[in-house]
Amino acid sequence: MSNDRIDNKLKEYPSVWVKFAVMAVFILIMIFLGKITLQFNEITELGVRLIKGALYGLITPSWETIIDLSKNGLLYMVLETFAIGFLGTIIGAVLSIPLAFLCSHRTAPRWVNVIFITLVTVVRSFPTIMIAIMFVKTVGSGPFAGVLTMSIGSTGMITKMTMEAIEDLDNGVVEALDASGCNAFTKIRLGILPQLSAAMLSNILYRLDINVKNASILGLVGAGGIGAALIVGIEYRKWNDVGALLWGIVILVLIIELVSTKIRKSISSKD
Amino acid sequence: MFDDLIHVFVPRTYKLSNGKIVKEKVSKSPYIIIILILMVIGCGKIVGFNFSQLIKRGHFFFDMLKKMFPCNWSYWPMMKKAMLDTIIMSILGSVIGCVVALPVSFFLSANFKISKVITVSSRIVITLFRTLPIMVFACFFQLLFGMGTFTGTLAISVFTFTICTKMMYEYIETVDMGAYEAIQSTGASRIKCIWTSIWPQVKGYFFSTVLLTLETNVKSASILGYVGAGGIGIVLDSQLSLRKYSNLGLVVLVMTLTVVALEFLARYGRRKLSDV
Repeated sequence: MSNDRIDNKLKEYPSVWVKFAVMAVFILIMIFLGKITLQFNEITELGVRLIKGALYGLITPSWETIIDLSKNGLLYMVLETFAIGFLGTIIGAVLSIPLAFLCSHRTAPRWVNVIFITLVTVVRSFPTIMIAIMFVKTVGSGPFAGVLTMSIGSTGMITKMTMEAIEDLDNGVVEALDASGCNAFTKIRLGILPQLSAAMLSNILYRLDINVKNASILGLVGAGGIGAALIVGIEYRKWNDVGALLWGIVILVLIIELVSTKIRKSISSKD
Repeated sequence: MFDDLIHVFVPRTYKLSNGKIVKEKVSKSPYIIIILILMVIGCGKIVGFNFSQLIKRGHFFFDMLKKMFPCNWSYWPMMKKAMLDTIIMSILGSVIGCVVALPVSFFLSANFKISKVITVSSRIVITLFRTLPIMVFACFFQLLFGMGTFTGTLAISVFTFTICTKMMYEYIETVDMGAYEAIQSTGASRIKCIWTSIWPQVKGYFFSTVLLTLETNVKSASILGYVGAGGIGIVLDSQLSLRKYSNLGLVVLVMTLTVVALEFLARYGRRKLSDV
């Protein structure tokens, strides 16, 4: 009797062969995809030598670059990268607040939502490198273009996260304010913002994390930050400089990540 | 008015009826706001923030958009291959990175008590690698393997690996270990224990991590072409230097649509996973 029950229960599960078949099909698809795009390159002797040099450079970063306090020094470039990420996040956050309210169906009519959600989605998916190029053409190369790129790039993401936080709000407070005859702005100021500030702050800190990391790429198209020096260093095989710059990025990102995780944890434990 | 302003920083004191003096608690937020404003001003100085220049030259931004759209549709056959490469690179990279990350994250999570020295030291190494942008990986692999999509796939895999490992081991540490201990007491091997007790608990999170990394990787894969790692970035760069803006418009349009579509699919998949 009990054996029957166990057997029946076992039969309800898909057999091991079905699982294997699914896995096999998946792996075959992956191999097929790889076949049509990847050309496998062999490791060249030159490549091995270069990588050895690079690894050696990582272990022995050039102290001249690290100590140098001028504009070509590590400290200034790290500071510039941080400034780009920080300002970009702040501007993005400020821009995203009205956008998030326009995107949420709680605070704006339906047709407004559709327009702004489409706008935000397009801006968010627009290739960042293209935004950077366009801003470099607009305001000239330099960190200012980087800040503008970062702010546009992060607006989309912060808006989306703030919008999701607005959807999760407790409606009771807003309804109570509504009943007492408040207008839309009072409702937002007294009913929504106090509930929202913790979630928003934590989103912004999370975004700061990502932005500082991404700010090191912007140098590729001349939008400031540490990336330009990094690319030049790799191109001219100045491995000791590259090592110093990479350590700069690592330490900067680690510090920002630690601080932001700590603040975010203290925010979420307060709730 | 002025009185109120002072009390933002200096606590109000009240004298109670029993003669005790009580200080009101002061909010920290004014100090935080002042620090933030100082930081914004400082950072603005560093990057040379120049609002008037932006307004004066702002039309250049829209000029470029106008040059790009309407875009040149006949360019599609030439860029089809590069776009496909980008998508496949990011799919393969995400899958390989996550699949490799899975056993490693079991190895690194503290609840299996493998070896503290190994766990901590490998975590430090992975954390160091995680802070690097994907472009750095692409540059180094490009030196080793030369240009091409293989380099790009490798760069994406390694980048995904570092992120996925961290997300997975943090999640595995929150998992309920009761089932694991129960199965261990039957005398099963460690791998069998993990396969039957831990894997069912983490598999939903794992698949949604794969989709999440896929979503971000498609976006970052467009940069890789710039450092010679294959994909649409090469086309973007070449059309930009040739000043063929209408072709560029099509490239940007296709990239945007691809990201939107993949984001939509990934979100759909993740919602399905969270239902299960």
